[in-house]
Amino acid sequence: MPWFLRKLSHGGLLILGVTFISFSLMVWFGPDQTYTLIGKNATTEQIAEVREQLGYNQSFVVRYGHYLADLFTFNLGASNSSGESVNRILQKTIPVTLALMLPGFILGNLLGIALALLATGKKDQWTDRLITGFSVTGMSISFLVVIIFLQVLLCTPYGLNLFPVRGWQVSGLASYLYYVTVPTLSLIFITVGYNTRFFRAVFVEEAGKDHIRTARAYGASTMTILWRHVLKNSLVPIITRFMYTIPLVVISGSLLIESYFGIPGIGKATFDAVTSGDQPVLKAVVGLTAVAFIVIQLFTDFIYKLVDPRIA
Amino acid sequence: MATEILARRKMRISRSGLTGLVIVIFFFLLAVAVWAGWAGQNWSAADGERWASPGSTWWFGTNQLGQDIFERAVYSVRTAFEIGIVVSLLSTALGAALGAVAGWRSNTLADGTVLWLAGVLDSIPFYLFVAAVAFALQGLPWAMHVAMIATFWTATARLARAEVMKIKSREFVLSARAIGLPSWLILMRHVLPNTLHILLIQASISFVAAIKTEVILSFLGLGVQDGVSWGLMLAESTQEVLAGHFNNFLAASIMLFLLLLGFNLLSDALQDSFDPKQAAL
Repeated sequence: MPWFLRKLSHGGLLILGVTFISFSLMVWFGPDQTYTLIGKNATTEQIAEVREQLGYNQSFVVRYGHYLADLFTFNLGASNSSGESVNRILQKTIPVTLALMLPGFILGNLLGIALALLATGKKDQWTDRLITGFSVTGMSISFLVVIIFLQVLLCTPYGLNLFPVRGWQVSGLASYLYYVTVPTLSLIFITVGYNTRFFRAVFVEEAGKDHIRTARAYGASTMTILWRHVLKNSLVPIITRFMYTIPLVVISGSLLIESYFGIPGIGKATFDAVTSGDQPVLKAVVGLTAVAFIVIQLFTDFIYKLVDPRIA
Repeated sequence: MATEILARRKMRISRSGLTGLVIVIFFFLLAVAVWAGWAGQNWSAADGERWASPGSTWWFGTNQLGQDIFERAVYSVRTAFEIGIVVSLLSTALGAALGAVAGWRSNTLADGTVLWLAGVLDSIPFYLFVAAVAFALQGLPWAMHVAMIATFWTATARLARAEVMKIKSREFVLSARAIGLPSWLILMRHVLPNTLHILLIQASISFVAAIKTEVILSFLGLGVQDGVSWGLMLAESTQEVLAGHFNNFLAASIMLFLLLLGFNLLSDALQDSFDPKQAAL
């Protein structure tokens, strides 16, 4: 089978898997939605009608098929609690989440790469030990602790009181910076430890290879070696990590940050859906993010193949 | 044989690893004291005044409800160890079993299925998966544990699979095959014991992940249902810090940090002493 067909079928199987799991957990084994949708004192006929609409009288395979079809045609229904269509909720919340999470995500990665390069250049010296110690410390602090700490430090009269305690009223660059700073700092703080450690391992391995020794023997400076040889040759693992962690950091991070700071993004919408048992929202978010993640993976693989024919 | 490997390697554990070990043992003894009923038993009684300062009666002060923060923080050590032990043991065991089968029968349907399942579980953002499991198992106090075990095994399985694939072509395995030992016996007696170092590291990594995850999930309302944990204490403290009361927050976050740091240092030291490439540098 040609390479891209094999990749494509692999991705297709993964998509079947994630949709199967989200369907089983939230629709098949999930709580019965009949009484959520129906008013008090419903007649037997009304109950039967709702059950028919929900497809409760059909077999697993048929309902799974419907679920797949709905997911891929973006026919996602309406939220149980607000009655708003799920498409509308997604359109409204996703831009907020991206604006909120991307600066921290990008800065956290850049800072991690910079610190890791520095540590690699000074490997086994005190700079390296300091950076390694710093990243282990960062990994030992809970996300929640970081958020609470920064909130107290920057947003309350007990600290510097510079930024809002919570909320999101963005109408321009100034107000954007006003609301985005504390969440961004939290995200950087929490990701930089893991990033530094990962990138350091990648760079140290690259720096131990023969071509680096050759470059050194020819008298290239540490700066040149790090920049031109180590960093450039590590681009594949860097991009892979970037692509693979986007959905995890953005989705999981936004769930906590948005529910904590009361920011109306996709994480807050998901959190509300979890607490109120809002099945249409929850199954759309879980299904779509998992599918999006696999599509991103496939896309990354194709790009690599175009760039570097050695990759099989 | 495995213990022999461990004993030989133990010589090289670093000073920071030793610090980590001491911290972990200290917390473990604390957890034992709570299990035995010697400490932390008074965690739920609301018999103090609200937000009392630390002193001889209330060592760490009291919270919004007048509960003793010291008792709660100490009892939470037990909660953390219960979650950590259950999740790390079961997820490592599951990962080892599935990874060993996949590696032993590499490039067969069984192998493909394990890899596919791991790929599928890794593709669902973790907190969403937990949310989905919690939604499916409404009210069940074990939803959090189930979700963590169901996702944490994948990394262990991949590593165990790769290691088993390497080991199965070594001479001692070939000789065991040649004298006609059944596959399961070779796996149990000769292959898996040689992956023990990987499993040990993975268990310590999942322990850390489980405790950190509990904190986030308890804050989101998906975690510990009854009892007390550092996550629940932090969730309480989010209200208190805005009113200027930091005792609850400090007690929970410092204890959480120390335990996580201990485990991270320990698992780093284990990794270093087992990784021949690192040791050579």
